[in-house]
Amino acid sequence: MELVIETNNLTKRYGSLTAVNKLNLKVQRGSIHGFLGPNGAGKTTTIKIIVGLLRPDEGTVKVLGHELHGGKNEGFLQSFREHADSRLGIGYMPELPKFPKHLKGSELLDIYGRMYGMTEQQRKEQIPKLIEMVGLTGRENDLIGKYSKGMQQRIGIAQALLNNPELVILDEPSLGLDPVGMVEVRELVKNIAREGVTVFVSSHLLFEVEQVCTDVTIINRGTALASDTLQNVSGLLTGPAMIHVEVTQMSQNIIKAVKSLPFVSNVVQTGNTLVIQVTTHENVRAQVSQAITRAGGIIVDMSQKTSNLEDVFLQLVSKDQEGKPQ
Amino acid sequence: MTATNQERPRPSWFTRFWAVVRYEMLWNIRKKKFIAIVIAAFVLVTVDLALPAFFNVSKNPAFAATFSVGNLVFFLIALVTVMNSISGEFESGTIVPLLTKPVSRTMVFLAKVFAAFVIILVTYTVLFIYSTVGGIVVYGPQDNLQLVPLALLGNVISTFVWVAIILAIGSISKSSLFAALGGLVLFIAFVFAGSIIASVSNEAGALNYVPGVGATGVLNVAQRSQNITIQNITVSMNSVSTGTDNIGTNLVNYARYPSATVNITRTDVFSTPPKVIQLYTESIGFIVLRSIAVAFAYILVFLFVAWFAFKRAQIFE
Repeated sequence: MELVIETNNLTKRYGSLTAVNKLNLKVQRGSIHGFLGPNGAGKTTTIKIIVGLLRPDEGTVKVLGHELHGGKNEGFLQSFREHADSRLGIGYMPELPKFPKHLKGSELLDIYGRMYGMTEQQRKEQIPKLIEMVGLTGRENDLIGKYSKGMQQRIGIAQALLNNPELVILDEPSLGLDPVGMVEVRELVKNIAREGVTVFVSSHLLFEVEQVCTDVTIINRGTALASDTLQNVSGLLTGPAMIHVEVTQMSQNIIKAVKSLPFVSNVVQTGNTLVIQVTTHENVRAQVSQAITRAGGIIVDMSQKTSNLEDVFLQLVSKDQEGKPQ
Repeated sequence: MTATNQERPRPSWFTRFWAVVRYEMLWNIRKKKFIAIVIAAFVLVTVDLALPAFFNVSKNPAFAATFSVGNLVFFLIALVTVMNSISGEFESGTIVPLLTKPVSRTMVFLAKVFAAFVIILVTYTVLFIYSTVGGIVVYGPQDNLQLVPLALLGNVISTFVWVAIILAIGSISKSSLFAALGGLVLFIAFVFAGSIIASVSNEAGALNYVPGVGATGVLNVAQRSQNITIQNITVSMNSVSTGTDNIGTNLVNYARYPSATVNITRTDVFSTPPKVIQLYTESIGFIVLRSIAVAFAYILVFLFVAWFAFKRAQIFE
């Protein structure tokens, strides 16, 4: 599978703080790759290195086949090289983007379009389409200085899609948007991915990543804790899972029957409710239900919390926090 | 399916460069402080034209050719044009979307310098047309109007010394306030302190190598056509300053009197009555050449410093 972003041992330090620590990130072409991490995990720093705003202290970065930074082996003169052409195929929306307040929304897109070398005809076709897509129709001739935070976010998305990019990098795209806007962004991401565009989206919103991404990298303290398909990462959850069962009338027979199941490690009774700790993350509700019914119990409610990204994320991050000094 | 990076047509260097120039020009012409300074400059030129007429000044047929907008205007125009040209992008965060477009930092820097040049050239051209027309109205038919573009060119070079200095401070500090204050401190130091040194020290020649007015003297020409009379007092218009702020007027002087010399003097203000002391003599041609060379040296050095700082800047914001 072709990689559109590849970092090897990427390291960035701010004084004594290591913001990105030997990060090996691989983003496959055609994927929607979620870059997940708590605030200060190193997501934005990594993205800024990828788009050329920061230089790494160590490690290499390859984007769309262009070697951007050569790490320690890069000489002083080599470090002056710029890779403007590598950005022809990239659309980037920064976290809480800021655009020149003196420009109108349509002027901004027109000027950026010129920087991409778009012809007048291409700009005339593309700009109104994007304005409509991000819901700024009627406001495109207003100065950006008069835009609300949400509108700036929307024009930010429009400029990231201006050049029909093959790689779109979105840094916290939902930040500053209202709930309707957040849903629209998620739909937008799915739509652009359907056209074969690779989307690399950084977020601290787990549900957002879970709903739109095919692949995910979880980062904390600048280090990747997990990186794989969403399904495989969700399957990384270890430790006990819980099943909650409520019966009409609790009895010792029911508790005994449940405890006898091979995957049950602990059972806690509260009134007519049992909290059953199981050693698997597979769906075992049928076996539990059968055991309770055979023991004469009548189930009125049952739920098993299945493994999701949030569980994995919290588990990986908390393990990482425990393992390292603050 | 979108085109891959290899399949995409590469826009030319100039296509991208002009896009950044356009971006910068729109910013400049919409700056409120820029508009305010241009209006102020027009007021100053109007006063410059109207005041002598108010005092019954005799006709000055060389007014337009020897006109200069003055060193304070050079500094102020430079200040409002570039004080936030680079630093403002960092302060407002607009540098992030700009530098993630397919434009190099060198391209962005050159486009900003070029946009500043165009803005200053256009502003001065309009001011010079205004002063020429005004000169004809106030002082009658004008001589040597063909030299007006030479004065204009000199004024642009003089202003660009301050442009380069302010850009460098802004690029290093990434602060518009610092660029403005730093520029102002240097302006006061070089221009006002320089003027004081020129009148009290015998080493006034050293001032030729710092931005500002330089040393002062009198142009030795047989023809005193520039003398004007204000209420029966004849004032010599042949006084010359030799620094980078006077390239325009000295270029015109050189074009009019190519073999003239300049007696560099200082006034001993401590003697009674104040005595004019002659320090040395130089040809006007040499003075022009040196001031242009010094101006270009400053422009190139400070633009290089500004470019280097911009090129190496990391965007943390």
